[in-house]
Amino acid sequence: MNKKINVLVACGAGIATSTVVMKKVEDLFKENNIEANLIQIKIAEAASKQDDADMLISTTVLPTQYKIPAIKAMGFLTGLGVDKVKAEILDTVKQIQSA
Amino acid sequence: MSDNTTLKVSDYLREPLILLNTNFNSTDELFNGVNDIAFAEGFVTDQFLPKIKAREATFPTGLQLEDRGVAIPHTDADTINKEFVAVVVNQQPISFKRMDDPDSTTPVKVAFVLGLNQPHAQLEMLQSLMGIIQDSSILDKLEAATDQKDIQQILN
Repeated sequence: MNKKINVLVACGAGIATSTVVMKKVEDLFKENNIEANLIQIKIAEAASKQDDADMLISTTVLPTQYKIPAIKAMGFLTGLGVDKVKAEILDTVKQIQSA
Repeated sequence: MSDNTTLKVSDYLREPLILLNTNFNSTDELFNGVNDIAFAEGFVTDQFLPKIKAREATFPTGLQLEDRGVAIPHTDADTINKEFVAVVVNQQPISFKRMDDPDSTTPVKVAFVLGLNQPHAQLEMLQSLMGIIQDSSILDKLEAATDQKDIQQILN
């Protein structure tokens, strides 16, 4: 049984684009039988919340370096490079679960 | 939350906040223009304008698509009294900084200014908005629209 992972989903205001990305990531995890807690945040909160999380998925530029893997997921909004974003997220999950 | 009826983008359109053939030269001019109407009509508080400008400067909302840019400026929920999606179709493209790379800009003729205060209830609307943004034939129609009814029909 793979461990349940904690994922921060961030955008600038924590209100619009992260709402859309939350749903996309939820669907992606469901399709791949990945158990995860998704937490929607403002990117400004990421630094203080990263200790309780395994990875960060964001629609904004990342204002700082994080200790956890951070993925930019703009592709979910524009439709450009969606497959690449999904692959990157799934790869990161695998790495976290095998660590 | 789940028993909310599904709302479309067109349900968030407010006639005074559909701005066509505007002549804004910058994001600040666009925000001033939207705020003039939104504030006068009671959609936003007096904090909306300073906050949306600051937010756009820090976390820009330009989305680079294949053949053009689109922007979805928005700011904190507590500045919104009545929810709306304002549509601005400018005559010339305005340079918006890119969400994924604030050092680059993207040319935006169509901007959707989101006045949202309950984001979780609006997933369907936001998803359909992203669908609109990803459909260049819809964006072509929006750019060519001549009156507010066109916009309402295209987004319905």
